[in-house]
Amino acid sequence: MDQLNLLLEGFGSALTPINLLWVLIGALLGTAVGVLPGLGSSMAVALLLPITFTLDPTAAFIMFAGVYFGGLFGDSTAGILLNTPGNSAAIAGSFEGHRMAKDGRAAKALATAAVGAFVGGLIATTLVVFFAPLLVKMATAFGPAEYFALAVFAFLAISSVVSESVVKGLGALGIGLVLAMVGVDGPSGTVRYTLGMPQLFDGISIVVITVGLLALGEVLHIAGRIHRDPAMERIGTNGRARLERTDVRKALPAWLRGTAFGVPFGIIPAGGAEVPTFLAYGTEKRLAKRRGDKEFGSTGSIRGVAAPEAAGNATAGTAMGALLALGLPTSATAAIMLAAFQQYGMQPGPLLFERSGELVWTLLASLFIGLVVLVILNMQFAVVWAKLLLIPRHYLYAGITVLSMLGVYAISSSTLDLWVLLVIGLLGFVMRRYQFPLAPVLIAVVLGPLAETELRRALTVSEGDVSVLVSSPVTVILYSVLVLALVVSALQHLRHRRQKSAAALGGTGEGPDGGSGGSGGSGGEPVAPSGPTGSTAAADASGPSGTARETEKMGTRL
Amino acid sequence: MSQQQTVPPAGNPAETAGTAGAPGGPQGPTPAAPRGGTARRGFWAGRSELIMPLLVAGIATWLAIETATMNVMGDSVPGPQFFPTIVCIVLYAVALVHAIQLLRHPRLPDLTDDAVNADTSSDLLGDLASASERGRERIAGRTPGATLPQGWKTYTDWKTVGLIVGGIAVFILVLPVLGWVLSAAGLFWVVCKALGSQRPLFDLIISLVFSSVIQLAFNAGLGLNLPGGFLEGLI
Repeated sequence: MDQLNLLLEGFGSALTPINLLWVLIGALLGTAVGVLPGLGSSMAVALLLPITFTLDPTAAFIMFAGVYFGGLFGDSTAGILLNTPGNSAAIAGSFEGHRMAKDGRAAKALATAAVGAFVGGLIATTLVVFFAPLLVKMATAFGPAEYFALAVFAFLAISSVVSESVVKGLGALGIGLVLAMVGVDGPSGTVRYTLGMPQLFDGISIVVITVGLLALGEVLHIAGRIHRDPAMERIGTNGRARLERTDVRKALPAWLRGTAFGVPFGIIPAGGAEVPTFLAYGTEKRLAKRRGDKEFGSTGSIRGVAAPEAAGNATAGTAMGALLALGLPTSATAAIMLAAFQQYGMQPGPLLFERSGELVWTLLASLFIGLVVLVILNMQFAVVWAKLLLIPRHYLYAGITVLSMLGVYAISSSTLDLWVLLVIGLLGFVMRRYQFPLAPVLIAVVLGPLAETELRRALTVSEGDVSVLVSSPVTVILYSVLVLALVVSALQHLRHRRQKSAAALGGTGEGPDGGSGGSGGSGGEPVAPSGPTGSTAAADASGPSGTARETEKMGTRL
Repeated sequence: MSQQQTVPPAGNPAETAGTAGAPGGPQGPTPAAPRGGTARRGFWAGRSELIMPLLVAGIATWLAIETATMNVMGDSVPGPQFFPTIVCIVLYAVALVHAIQLLRHPRLPDLTDDAVNADTSSDLLGDLASASERGRERIAGRTPGATLPQGWKTYTDWKTVGLIVGGIAVFILVLPVLGWVLSAAGLFWVVCKALGSQRPLFDLIISLVFSSVIQLAFNAGLGLNLPGGFLEGLI
């Protein structure tokens, strides 16, 4: 039980008063940014990352442990109370969560989400502690061809398999790779794509890219639509978030099921927690149907909140393991974390445990401490967090703008960085405007240099023989799984396209039906009958027949 | 880029400060104008997205020129031009396919479109959650049945975006001269104003407090040197 000793040592260095303070600050900041409507955990990490650079590495990573999980805890609060989940991984939990809130059980939904996040994160982090050395052992056997295969897998899985549009995903990936190639080429020393500016010889800092794309791009995107966003309905919450014994008995199996879905996805580079959270939600939905659960889809089921929240944090937990042991970021947030390590001159991967073992185990211990702090913060002070939703949006986005400038200026006190930030912010804005995914850019920026170096290394050794790339079992397995995923995803896109064109021909138009799943009533959003969205409202009013038809179709589809 | 302001500008943007959306919140008339406007739409309607393949092709061309004229050091066999060449080919292919898609099927703005989540396929998630059509709309980032505010626009509000971009550019220019406190306060104030704040004086106080707190926390607490500008020595 080597790991346990190391972990205990980690706790030893994390449990000093000053380090506890850093965890607390990180947890507070992370939750706060996560709670704020429209701001997700990746934004929390991107905005707060540069500010931690003034700290020493241990303190910075301890604080990051709090921010990392805090953003996830906070995301669900906005989703449940406002129906505006901070990032797409929180959407699944907000379906039933918002229904519970409208039914007057907001506090219970928040508590279920918080405990679910705690359980998922706790189990996943424990698994990381025990299996990280195994992953490290596996990774040390990897050669250039295997690393290149891993990078290709991450590139294509995130840009093509899970993204909305393959063309846009690949475009985003390419843009990211171009950004990553700016600067001096490591292996040969050639200066590339710097526009003759010596300040760019080191390349564009990943921090500038993440802050520009995620924070500034988001501000500009909101600015482009602030005078037209639909008004949101806010649901107040009162009392402390508490769970009764019956609730726990109901939610516990769902928490565990959700965790089981979330754990494996942290290691698979599939863009983060979206897939497992929805998988968990879908499973609960099917189980509820079989059980004849009337709450699900109408007044809101506690299980429908519990499972996705646990899945989301379980993914985040094991993603940290994959990042530390393999150096492989499996989501955009993990990619930003990797950037943080690089900023301190550390390269996550098998060598990290040897070279900076103490820091790694302190970080893992801080993740546990962070989870405990967060579950207390979120259970006891749910009402206080909900107050954050009252901050007017213009102050919010003005603050984000100023903080982005601060963060980027803090890296090297250079105004050139600020200009690059503005250009990348504009890039992020047009990409959002035309629904280009941003995750592929971040993954490409982080893994691009690795992919290029390993590819060239592999080809140099084999003297140009391409077959070296598929010469080991690991690479063959990785590429086969990737091809399989691409085929399945292509079939899925084709099927939906055919259904859509069939629906258009049938004259049903784009009218969405009311309700969801098997429940007859429209247990959905705040529909204003006098609302201006003519077609939508009309379709809702004529719900029942449509719902029946739709449910039937769904049945055959799945 | 085709900017069509088909919706008549409304007097009061429905930016509610504290009382974010009471159920009966701000309601506008059906935004019929965009639909009426579709009759006389030109070639660019729904095709403004062509700017993206153009941008991608532009990046690819720049990459190609730079790669061809690169001053290569060393003589390793897959050299520094090898990987960029692959990326360049991918970018050109993507731009071509995207342009063809847009020319064949222009994408008109969706009335209920609300910040579509492009990172994850909504079809994939919808299947995983066995969602209804309505749930799928939600997953795709739309808000079916949402109450649309008055003065609702389908197109990007370039005035607001321009104000913020301008504000940032001015901030970068004056930062070394005016120092952090004044420049950052100015930027904060401009962004507030652009996003529809109605209380300029109150905002001014908030901006100054915000930027001063950052200056104090970072200069004193964390030892990061933010430029003092001409106020250097005074504070």
